[in-house]
Amino acid sequence: MAATGKPQYSQTISPGMEGIAWKWMRYSAFLLIPLVWGHMILQDVVVGVHAMDLDYVARRWASMGWRVYDALLLGFAFAHGVNGLRQVLNDFIHSHKARRLLNIVLLIFWLGLTLAGFIALIAGVRN
Amino acid sequence: MAGLKTVLAGYLGYRGREGHWTFLLHRITGLGTGLFLTIHILDIAFVYFAPRLFLDVIELYQTTLFGIGEIFLVFCVFYHGLNGLRIAYFDMFKPRSWSREIQTKSSRILLILAIALWLPAAAWMIRNLLIHNFGLLGG
Repeated sequence: MAATGKPQYSQTISPGMEGIAWKWMRYSAFLLIPLVWGHMILQDVVVGVHAMDLDYVARRWASMGWRVYDALLLGFAFAHGVNGLRQVLNDFIHSHKARRLLNIVLLIFWLGLTLAGFIALIAGVRN
Repeated sequence: MAGLKTVLAGYLGYRGREGHWTFLLHRITGLGTGLFLTIHILDIAFVYFAPRLFLDVIELYQTTLFGIGEIFLVFCVFYHGLNGLRIAYFDMFKPRSWSREIQTKSSRILLILAIALWLPAAAWMIRNLLIHNFGLLGG
């Protein structure tokens, strides 16, 4: 409530890492709607998992456009997901020390998997 | 994890009806999507690191059980995305509409829209399952 007694409807986002993380969630989400929905409708519904094999991935990645698309997906979706998990876990973990540890563990988890994904994306299918 | 019991009691015991259920569904669909995304990055990484393992995973994904899971995953992605848009819309353009009445109504519209997007996709995926896993519909 503001001092005037009128309800306060908007909040300013505090600067710093948590503020950046909050903005990241919102703005990555706008990108993820077309990226993820497009990817999901194409791969899960139209093409379907029964048409997937190594050859399918190789043919898809023969096009630079799809590789860039997948790189964007990997970069934006996984960071959005891991930060979301961090936000959920922060509901349960309150001590400064434990939150710090959680941040480090999740950072390593995110970095490791993102790196594995990018290596595969760049190196391509191994015959 | 001292607050686990308190927070969980709040998640389950708070009687906020539609707004509360939407909050819970947003978290569940987000965590569910994130869980699959983690597995999915690993399985795609296998095409380079362990191609044979990739084929094993694909075979697993083609089973009926995973096919059903995939259909629920599609709902999670639609619902979570639409609710994200709903929250951003009210935050950015209609902050004065964060009222009980409007949130109840928009939460219901959200659920209907998510189901409307999901049903055609789900129908097509069930069709794929019937063709490939049950030899029906000329499969």
